[in-house]
Amino acid sequence: MKTNHWKLGVLGVALLAASGAMAQAVVGKPAPAFKATDLAGKPVALSDFKGKYVVLEWTNPECPFVKKHYDSGNLPATQKDATAKGVVWLSIQTVPAADPKVRSELQSWQATKHAAATASVIDDGSIGKAYRAATTPHMYIVDPQGQLIYAGAIDSKPTSNPADIQGATNYVNQALGEALAGKPVSQPVTKAYGCTVKYPT
Amino acid sequence: MFRSWRLLLQLLPALLPAWAAAQSTVVTTEHVRAELLAHAPEGVAPGKPLWLGLSIDHQPKWHTYWKNPGDSGLPTTFKWALPEGVQAGPIAWPVPLPLPFGPLMNHGYDGQVLLPVAVTLAPGTGDVDVTLRADWLVCKDVCIPESGEFRLRLPAGAVIDGQAKRFEVARAEAPVEPPGAKGSARVDGEVLVVEVDGLPAAAHGRTLRFFPELGGVVDPAAPVEQRWDGARWSARVPLSPQRSESPEALAIVLADAARPGGWRVEVPVAGPWPGPGAPAPVPVPVSEPPASLAASMGLALLGGLLLNLMPCVFPILSLKVLGFAKAGQDRRGLAAQGLAYTAGVVVSFLALAGLLLALRAGGEALGWGFQLQSPLFVAGLAVVFTLIGLNLAGVFEFGSVLPGSFAALRLHHPLADQALTGVLAVAVASPCTAPFMGVALGAALTLPTAEALAVFAALGLGMALPYLAASLVPAVARALPRPGVWMARFKVAMAFPMFATVVWLVWVLGQQAGIDGAAGLLSVLVAVAFVMWALGSPGIGARGRVVLGAVAVPVLVVAVLWAWPGLDDARAPRAAVPEVSADWQAWSPQAVASAQAAGRPVFVDFTAAWCVTCQFNKRTALADPAVLAQARDAGVLLLRADWTRRDPVITRELTRLGRSGVPVYALYARPDQPPRLLPEVLRAADVREALAGIPTARDGGPASRSPS
Repeated sequence: MKTNHWKLGVLGVALLAASGAMAQAVVGKPAPAFKATDLAGKPVALSDFKGKYVVLEWTNPECPFVKKHYDSGNLPATQKDATAKGVVWLSIQTVPAADPKVRSELQSWQATKHAAATASVIDDGSIGKAYRAATTPHMYIVDPQGQLIYAGAIDSKPTSNPADIQGATNYVNQALGEALAGKPVSQPVTKAYGCTVKYPT
Repeated sequence: MFRSWRLLLQLLPALLPAWAAAQSTVVTTEHVRAELLAHAPEGVAPGKPLWLGLSIDHQPKWHTYWKNPGDSGLPTTFKWALPEGVQAGPIAWPVPLPLPFGPLMNHGYDGQVLLPVAVTLAPGTGDVDVTLRADWLVCKDVCIPESGEFRLRLPAGAVIDGQAKRFEVARAEAPVEPPGAKGSARVDGEVLVVEVDGLPAAAHGRTLRFFPELGGVVDPAAPVEQRWDGARWSARVPLSPQRSESPEALAIVLADAARPGGWRVEVPVAGPWPGPGAPAPVPVPVSEPPASLAASMGLALLGGLLLNLMPCVFPILSLKVLGFAKAGQDRRGLAAQGLAYTAGVVVSFLALAGLLLALRAGGEALGWGFQLQSPLFVAGLAVVFTLIGLNLAGVFEFGSVLPGSFAALRLHHPLADQALTGVLAVAVASPCTAPFMGVALGAALTLPTAEALAVFAALGLGMALPYLAASLVPAVARALPRPGVWMARFKVAMAFPMFATVVWLVWVLGQQAGIDGAAGLLSVLVAVAFVMWALGSPGIGARGRVVLGAVAVPVLVVAVLWAWPGLDDARAPRAAVPEVSADWQAWSPQAVASAQAAGRPVFVDFTAAWCVTCQFNKRTALADPAVLAQARDAGVLLLRADWTRRDPVITRELTRLGRSGVPVYALYARPDQPPRLLPEVLRAADVREALAGIPTARDGGPASRSPS
């Protein structure tokens, strides 16, 4: 009995130290809530955007698959399109360790690529784990009621070749278009492709 | 001399391409050295075996991917340019390695790997000029897409066997399809259940690695629960929460880490695949919004306060009142004790929350109230309550059973004693929290750890508040009853709620482990009472105690040994199927999916025997004849999900609904709408109103049928 209490205590303390236990992201169910700070130091919470569509984009400026969609202008154009329609766009970079450089590098890279995200967030892995983000890019759409309505790839051609953007189906444009028109999302889950999200190990 | 020069010049055009081709069989990057190899042991000729293969030599810690790369990554791809009549087959992938990366899992290769391809030549084919464009993604913590173009000339008839060994190794590393091996798979909630018969004897009893050839079906990082029943291998593989594929058959590769190669089996998947992955619910007004942190904490505080009134807590708190009444003269000491008690309660709640979150993080899909899902825990609790009841009733005195030092500890450290009482109060309260705290706890589990713990702390604070107030504010403390003879009577009277709780616990155990388990527990309780009376009754002399103890203790040992198999979590037989009646059927995700596919609305009662609110609702609102008649008229399928014993499938569904405990009442009106959740304290009118609001499939409006 005594040992059991001891074990319980250790477990509790270990847990206090761990962070980011959240609900799982499942399409058709409420999207896991999260709070973070944006690059300007302002607090950002998913719940702030209740009543709006929210796109979550996992990104990493060093990833060739992300570069494919930014260097070609594909993702910035998708962002501009979405935000013009009142959609909130959050770019999220999951990093293995806190590093102040990441913040400024993401900011300046986004500026040179004319990115149009509403806000960008550096994540220590807790948001990524809740959404089970596996790749960069990995895309999610949350509807105004807070339900997850899309999870998966940016488009239908899983390559790093910018030439493949032409002729690929942009799943985010497709899902947003359908949802904004009051129609069900025809492809709510696709297999994301890209670099591995860098979680703390 | 001159002649040989001429000869050389004549030969040069023939040699150069071969030399150039040989040079372009290798591509070296910073991360891999890739080389196109050929193997034609019987000569390059139609009808003879001919293999080509790309050998990839990775720099340390770099890897490339298998055909199903797992959570991220891309498989290596080949694009061949071959002369007419020459056909290259698919890559004969060697069995991959599991490549964990943080919370993710990939499948691929490190070190040296050969990706072979069988080539066939049509009759009359001469020299074969091969061009291969290969694309591979090579990753360490960063990923680099790389590619190479390889050219090779295979002269007609040439015997090429310089790489025989590499190709032999690659063949050994590729999975084989064991003759006679047969498998099947079915979807069981959020799990794919796979069974394979006819694997070679060498595999029997071994722990196998599981690689599906198709991605987007199972969760690559989730541990696979597997076992052997004789020659049958079976496994429970968690589905990916973001499953994009619903295949009718799945090719799987099983491998034993201790030996090269593996086995490939195609297993048909018996459907139906569950809902998500199909069109998601579109923006429709939904159930209640997830509570904000402040609201959750407020609700938790209120719930904590309410806990004081629960029948399973009140007797313990009455003990506290007795304690206060005794210490009433010392205000300072009282305040300190109140704070100690509060600290004990709050810390216990935090510890429970920590445990819950840890278990959840550890992948154990458990919910609040989960302790009561374990027969052993229920039995233990019944013993504890019996002991408390016997003690209150005066059958034995604690002082005469516990070592003297323990009594002294209680006496000399009143603060520690108070904190301990707080801990005890929480342990006893936990069965009562589920019905009241569903929403707050559900919200807490979707929050980051720190905020979840804040909610649990608020819950504890709420519970401790009345006593803190009584100890700090004299007015409250003065309102407490004065000490007197009534205390002794009150103490004995309090024994009865304790025994009533034991009745309830025995009933819960009966639901879990059947009548044998309940009988076993009752005999243990009788034996415990016997032992306590024999050893602890103040009226028995020392000699009588020895004699009676010599009889009582063996009786207890025998009772425990007899009851144990019926109570052991792993071995306890599951009590008869959850109550199913003409109106209510047993819940399963498939039942919901198939009813919804047939256009039938579904109402689910998530319940448990140990949940008092659930039982109350079940006997009132959910047994109401008008409700049942209206459900029949509206064609609603009534399902009951029984969470009395641990059930991961139900736990997952509860989590999806944003809850962590029962009761939960969910109305799945239409497949394109999220389920509507009904209040936890349910009235018949709530159910009838919800049933009346079901839109019909045809007009999308409210059902026109009036309640009968």
